[in-house]
Amino acid sequence: MANKRTDEELPPRPAFPIPDFPAPTQPEPYYASYETGVPIAIDLGRSTTRIGLAKETSPNNVFPTVMSRFKDRRVNRMITLVGNDMYLDNVSKSNIRSAFDGPMINNWDVIEKVLDYGFLHCGVSSQGRVDNPIVMNEVLATPLQQRTSMMELLFEAYNVPKLAFGADCLFSYYQNGGSTGLVIGTGHDATHVIPVVEHKPVLSIAKRLDWGGRQATNYLMDFIGLKYPYFPTRLTTFQMEKIKQDYCYVSKDFSEEITHYLDLENLEKNDIVLEVPFTEVVKHQKTEEELQLEAERKREQIKRLHEQARERRLEKLVQKEADFSYFTGLKERMKSMNKREQIDVLRNEGFQDESEMNKHIANLEKSLKKARNEDIGENTSEEPPSFPLLEVPDEQLSEEQMKEKRKQRLMKANYDARMRAKQEKELAKKEAEEAAERDRKWRESDLSGWISDRRERLEKLIQRVKERKRLKEELTDRKSRAAQNRMKNIASLADEDRGAGRRKKTGNVTIDNDPNDTFGANDEDWAVYRAIAREEDDDAEEEVQQEILKIEEELLEYDPNFTVEDTLQRQFDWRNSLIHRFLRGPRNFDPEDQHQQHQIHINVERIRIPEILFQPSIAGVDQAGIVELAEDTLLRRLPGEKGFSGDESTEMMKDVFITGGQSLFQNFQERLDSDLRAVLPVGSPLRVRRAQDPLLDAWRGMAKWSLTDEARHSYVSRQEYAEYGAEYMKENNMGCVRL
Amino acid sequence: MSNIVEVSDRLNAPLPFKPPSYKPAKRRHRFLRQILNDEAKRIQLKQQHAHDPNLVTYQSLSAPPSLRPTKTYCDITGLPTHYKSPHNQLRYYDKECYDIVKHMAPGVDQQYLALRSANVVLK
Repeated sequence: MANKRTDEELPPRPAFPIPDFPAPTQPEPYYASYETGVPIAIDLGRSTTRIGLAKETSPNNVFPTVMSRFKDRRVNRMITLVGNDMYLDNVSKSNIRSAFDGPMINNWDVIEKVLDYGFLHCGVSSQGRVDNPIVMNEVLATPLQQRTSMMELLFEAYNVPKLAFGADCLFSYYQNGGSTGLVIGTGHDATHVIPVVEHKPVLSIAKRLDWGGRQATNYLMDFIGLKYPYFPTRLTTFQMEKIKQDYCYVSKDFSEEITHYLDLENLEKNDIVLEVPFTEVVKHQKTEEELQLEAERKREQIKRLHEQARERRLEKLVQKEADFSYFTGLKERMKSMNKREQIDVLRNEGFQDESEMNKHIANLEKSLKKARNEDIGENTSEEPPSFPLLEVPDEQLSEEQMKEKRKQRLMKANYDARMRAKQEKELAKKEAEEAAERDRKWRESDLSGWISDRRERLEKLIQRVKERKRLKEELTDRKSRAAQNRMKNIASLADEDRGAGRRKKTGNVTIDNDPNDTFGANDEDWAVYRAIAREEDDDAEEEVQQEILKIEEELLEYDPNFTVEDTLQRQFDWRNSLIHRFLRGPRNFDPEDQHQQHQIHINVERIRIPEILFQPSIAGVDQAGIVELAEDTLLRRLPGEKGFSGDESTEMMKDVFITGGQSLFQNFQERLDSDLRAVLPVGSPLRVRRAQDPLLDAWRGMAKWSLTDEARHSYVSRQEYAEYGAEYMKENNMGCVRL
Repeated sequence: MSNIVEVSDRLNAPLPFKPPSYKPAKRRHRFLRQILNDEAKRIQLKQQHAHDPNLVTYQSLSAPPSLRPTKTYCDITGLPTHYKSPHNQLRYYDKECYDIVKHMAPGVDQQYLALRSANVVLK
């Protein structure tokens, strides 16, 4: 008992609130020092847009790429909100429209509004045109339609003088001063692995893994939805994203860590409890007095019910005794009758033959014995009451006395029944005592034999419980053997009851008008169902459970090898339940507790979600993980490519660069380093680094690059666009390819 | 309240930097699959016209399948496992998980399978 851990010893787990979007108090700020001619860099991300003039060090506006359009009832007008402003109002949140279908833009109206909003907040004041060169990101090797539409929009709706495109992760690499390295950009919709040699990306061997922050968030959302199917509130994508960002981390050694993740010690450290806000329903607290009164009333009721039941049982007992004595008397009398008379008597009583009657008598005797053992109220008075009138013949009695005599006869019967029951009980008690004594003697003389007997019995009982459970389970399956047997029984029973001479159905008989079908005309027909009813074994099960408990108690007392841990109850303890630990963490669960009803536990998910980048097969993505992609790029694709050798690869290992939202997961860098080291040749000069600011460096790189000479040669001007059309594009080192 | 009306008005008023003559063309709402199909057709035509083995396209960038042996995990708890239920192909970690897998409400197993794109998709 010493090592029994109690719940009281463990402090409750702290529950963190599930974060929601912090509502901005002010509308998005406007930029004050706008100038024409200065490039505007736009990082139009799938989740977040960053926009600002290139002379600044940080984007002026960072906002989600969404629009919300709805009719405001209060002012009866259409309202259009973009970006952070959307959160100024509650109605707008339910009307969010995204511009994207997966990684592609499919709603250009939203994009136009977002750009309107962006330029407006940049303080663009030139008339009839946005008089600034534009540098914008695009999906690497985007479908032509996407680029054409974007160019159309920028040149025609905003009259921009010139523009250039590039991939955001390469801009980020540029910002972080890279020249030769392997760029791993984890975006909102996809993850790219791009080798860069001397500032030039080798796009012919770059690879894209279709897994990004959006997919990860959706995956987490679906997973949590299945984990807690009856959770009272629905968590929003925003909340899921926040949970992912705050609590997920990359495991340094996944296969090792995941194996022990649901162990109690680990959960103590790593299980996160999150609670959604809810309004607590306060239950009416009853006063001491009220409670007492209620309990009193209840006791009273129970007592009355008990008494009534006892009365009923006694009545039944008396009836049974009368029946029993009648039939035994009949049997005696029948001995002196001839065959014919015997048969007549039997027919009158409703028996087929004598054996049936004997069976009936035996049954009566059995049930009598059982009834006597039940509680029928003890006669408190020791002295037997007297029934004087019973001795007097009827003729001498008046009407009144006759009534009294009937009453006394009944009372005498009751009394006798009670006395007999008492005797029966005493006998049973004595027998039990003797058995206990024998048991004790056995135990004292042969402990090991006694223990093995008890253990055997316990084993048998447990086996029986299991067997019953299995049978119950099997019956739920229509095709199982048990269920088939049951159907057979039903069929044969039904056949038996109908009798053999039943005519075959003919003509158009349905279940409703079959003249041969007289089932139900007689009430006893329904007894068929009772005969085949699934075993109502609640009582029996209860009995078995009681017995198991009893034996376990005995074993606990006398068997030194039997501990609390071995008891059946202990084996069903929540600590031993993997599912409990997965769903409810390292504490017991109280389904009545309103707080616990509104809590979710994040444990395995914390490392499972980021792991998908390394093992996309977890989420059913049939692509290689980033380590395998990086390895192939470094060791096979690049040396195999024309014009490159192993030297470039070695050079590239020195600068493996990660950027983008998912690189913010804790341990990402360390894991990538150790996994790559495991597959690269011994002594490779591997160095993994992360962008200074994985979220904003892409924009900063754009801004910085837009002012360089290279950019000046890469811009496509409005004139060129008008002349050559949208397919005309100048390739640059930032990942813009001619399509 | 007046705040959002103001913000919305400012965005929806005629913007000075937009040419007054500009009218947005009627745009077709295209889904991802359409966009990718169109692009594939365009690339095919282009390749027929003048073949370029090194052409970089959206499709060609897609990462190849993994050549490493895939590890399997329990669909319920996410723990590594090798067991698979014969009824509904769900992977499970132990007896307790199997109890859940066996008695799953109809449709839920498909939802679990959808998490790893192994669900049955009717077309």
